[in-house]
Amino acid sequence: MDGKRRILIMAVVFGLVALLPIFFGGSKVIMHILIMCLIWSVVASCWDLIMGFAGIFSFGQVAFFVIGAYASAIFSLRLGVPPIISTFLAGAVAAAVGVLVALPCLRLKGAYVALVTFAVHMILAPFLKSNMGRAIGTGGAQGLLTIPPISLFGYTFQNAEPIPFFYLTLVVAVICSLIIILVIMSHWGTAFLTLKDSEDFARALGVSALRYKLMVFALTSFLTGMIGGFYGHYVGMLSTRMLGIDLFVTLMIMLVIGGVGQYPGAVLGAFFTVTINEMLAPVGSYRPLILGAMVLILVLALPDGVVGLIRSLFNLGGRGARAGGRMK
Amino acid sequence: MEVIDVIISGMINGSVYALMAVGLTLVYGVSKVFNFAYGSFYSLGGYLAFSILSFKIFGGYVTVLVLAVPALLLFGYVVERAIVAPLRRWSSWEVKVMMLTLGLALLMDNLFQITYGARVKSLPVIVEGSLTVGPVIVSWQDIAIFVLSVSGMFAFRWVLNNTWVGLAVQAVAQNPNGAQIVGIPRDKIFAATFAISTVMVGLGGILLSQKYFVSPNQGWDILVKAWVITAFGGMGSIRGSLYAAFIMGMLEAFVGWMFGLTWVQFALFGVLLATLAIRPQGLMGKWG
Amino acid sequence: MKRLGLWAMALLLGLLVAVPVFAQEIKVGVPLAMTGPYTDTGDNYWKGIKMAIDEINEAGGLLKKKLVPVRFDTQEFAPERVMQGADYLCGQEKVMSVHAGWAGWGQDIRAYGKYDAPFFADDGSQAAVDVFKENPADFANIFQLTDTGINQAASMFRVLMALPYEYPNKKVVIIHADDAWGQEVGDTLEKNFKEKGWEVALKEKVPYGTREWGPILTTIRKINPAIIHVEIVSAQEVITFFRQFMKAPTSSILSYGYSIVPREVVETMGKEADGLIGEVPTAMPTPKAPTPEAQAWVDKFEKIYGHRPQAGSWAAYSGVKAWAAAVAAVGDETKLKEVNQYIATQGYKGETGMWKWDAEHVMRAGGDVPIGHYQVQDGEMVTIYTDPPTKPYLDFKFIKPRWIK
Repeated sequence: MDGKRRILIMAVVFGLVALLPIFFGGSKVIMHILIMCLIWSVVASCWDLIMGFAGIFSFGQVAFFVIGAYASAIFSLRLGVPPIISTFLAGAVAAAVGVLVALPCLRLKGAYVALVTFAVHMILAPFLKSNMGRAIGTGGAQGLLTIPPISLFGYTFQNAEPIPFFYLTLVVAVICSLIIILVIMSHWGTAFLTLKDSEDFARALGVSALRYKLMVFALTSFLTGMIGGFYGHYVGMLSTRMLGIDLFVTLMIMLVIGGVGQYPGAVLGAFFTVTINEMLAPVGSYRPLILGAMVLILVLALPDGVVGLIRSLFNLGGRGARAGGRMK
Repeated sequence: MEVIDVIISGMINGSVYALMAVGLTLVYGVSKVFNFAYGSFYSLGGYLAFSILSFKIFGGYVTVLVLAVPALLLFGYVVERAIVAPLRRWSSWEVKVMMLTLGLALLMDNLFQITYGARVKSLPVIVEGSLTVGPVIVSWQDIAIFVLSVSGMFAFRWVLNNTWVGLAVQAVAQNPNGAQIVGIPRDKIFAATFAISTVMVGLGGILLSQKYFVSPNQGWDILVKAWVITAFGGMGSIRGSLYAAFIMGMLEAFVGWMFGLTWVQFALFGVLLATLAIRPQGLMGKWG
Repeated sequence: MKRLGLWAMALLLGLLVAVPVFAQEIKVGVPLAMTGPYTDTGDNYWKGIKMAIDEINEAGGLLKKKLVPVRFDTQEFAPERVMQGADYLCGQEKVMSVHAGWAGWGQDIRAYGKYDAPFFADDGSQAAVDVFKENPADFANIFQLTDTGINQAASMFRVLMALPYEYPNKKVVIIHADDAWGQEVGDTLEKNFKEKGWEVALKEKVPYGTREWGPILTTIRKINPAIIHVEIVSAQEVITFFRQFMKAPTSSILSYGYSIVPREVVETMGKEADGLIGEVPTAMPTPKAPTPEAQAWVDKFEKIYGHRPQAGSWAAYSGVKAWAAAVAAVGDETKLKEVNQYIATQGYKGETGMWKWDAEHVMRAGGDVPIGHYQVQDGEMVTIYTDPPTKPYLDFKFIKPRWIK
């Protein structure tokens, strides 16, 4: 799939999404769902960038999200930084942590990288709850309850009025998506593909695995952390409960549905998953059961996700045909 | 005297971890499959034993063993053949397997919750009472866990080194394509490995559930612990996992004793990261 | 076949939720954990809430309208999930009251405080009260069914001191979970013990999932404290602790605080658990209830569910009944502010007596709704004290645990 087509799909998707408040603006619940769709779409896209394109099994995306959310909240609560700036600072903090995590990971392979990044996830909740966490202002086990909302040009984006916040999030999501598309289209993207297919070959060509991997870690954790900061200022409250297994699995499902390395599949996956998750809410305890079964069926039936399916249905060819091709 | 208590505690931790980790490392070593539903397989063992014992049948745990081993073997084999194997033909199938098994974990855990309820289920203890040697007191239950898991490991090694299947597994682990060329049915060996690992972790689930009970969401703890130990020992190295299990068990006991239990997790991950920074393949792992 | 039936039920449930609303119905919001690690506590509240709703409907409904519960799965209480619950139940479904059980430590107050429907929670958290105090007028619809962790811990301390038992020394060990509740109780107990001249020989914060207690027990055996308090509200942790402690017990009173409540503690261990003590706020004392009405309630609960009411069931039940009584008095369930006003000022006449919320809308322990302090005796939880004021409950006596020499 070439860049133009990706941009076209993105434009159509986000254009349609931008129109949704006309129909659903009256319902806070649906607006909230849409905002969460946009937020998760950024996280899922970043995950896809690092896992699908760069081929790094990073399992730390939720952790970077939470790090960003906490960092932004702490900056604005403790140092009085305006939230609109603190979200960027939060992105920087997440990026710094990302690079720190990346350094040991660069020498590792596959499941080891997954483990090290997941270790960050596992260790984050105890850290935030510990006395060290309390010392930097995480609020310990209670979390933070008074995170100020984002203000821009004298306007305050309250979660009680979701429509303005929705458009703000949409703008952020579009910017993030453009960055991701640019990365995929640029020589970075080509380098990643070469690295993923054959690291030795790429090295021989002079592609520095180390540099690219560090950069992709920094970039994805920056974007994820920034959107995490956004989330914190939107909801106004934070706790370590985000680090349960539920959210992690939900994000994974977004990638399953969207297809790994099938950007902008992850964006579609985010919208699909959040919507399905909400639609299944009335069945209560059967919801995760159905989600689990769905993952099984989708992975088996649609190894390249919905985007892969659409592509093969319309025979769009391009990279998808290669990704879906048989290995041996 | 306390040190002896702590060492005993570490030994028991270690034997438990060894049992948990060995199946994970075996499967990864042989077929590069990382099984996210590993923790749920552990729970499956526990619930299987709970169900069998709830009939109050003759023989107690012996009957459980007789019934559970074939059941787990079959379950593991079918899961591998039916849902893991078909993914092998796709590119980046390792990620897809992770996703698939994550879905399987979600499905299984919630099936347990719906079938057995959210509450913790308990199994009768294997042996009661405790052994007192001077100031040191060890419960027979812990001794049983230690003895059974260590002998389980030995039995497992015996199978690997002395049976046709075991040797075939080793051959496939070393060179999958080569093994196929010499007539070893590679795909069946993959499935057999998966089935053996299911039995190992399922038996671990039975053995530990009579001490720690069984509940639907416990699997994640098990998965993470097993994962840490496997990576520390070197993925694919059974001996590495064994050492790693006891090192981590001791570490946990000593850190918990000297600094407090909150630090255990930090210490485990800290040691793991430090090890991986120096030896990316873990203690005894090989690249591949 | 059983699963098929369950599926059909799930479908039916889904349809029930989706069925359009009739004029003669009142919707009641029930946000509880239905999946994930908090499912069991969610179930306890649901049992009480369902019992109250069924009772009201069987008696001809509220203002002759049928109560219809609208459930919402709060999963693991992520902040946006809590907020979404409020927007869904109050904003979209327009429920006339919300019954939540344990719902967080202040995040729920903010989320539901935006609306006016009466919101009943069992947070037991000072943080939640602090949020309320920021803006009592705005949060006028918030009602806590239990007292704060601080007051519950103080109550535990008073009862420990009141036990008819001579402590051999003044050393205590406090072990608590690393969540908001554990921290609040652990810190308060530490303060109380220190003020009374006790030595807090060990105060340890432990993560959930701890099941190997060897290292801590080694330290404890060396200290040989007079009291060990464990505050981890999760069955596996507290049962494994007890069993491993019993391998070589010290002469210590084992105080489990609120961790006594997971039903598995007595169901799994039975008489083995004899001697453990613990507390339940807003408690229905057992085995003998304080009034005939209360006894009838306990009997009815046991008949429906086949086991003793668990912590939270009665509190959540009473929340529904208190709201229903207020609606009946006001005469219109949609006059939310008046209903809130009524609950806050008039309270509610329950099975054990009067419920009165204080100025902070907290059901403070005491009066007719005290904190119950239990000891496991003969394999069941027996109320030995109520507090405040600290007094023995009927003629149930504290029994010196068998492991104390």
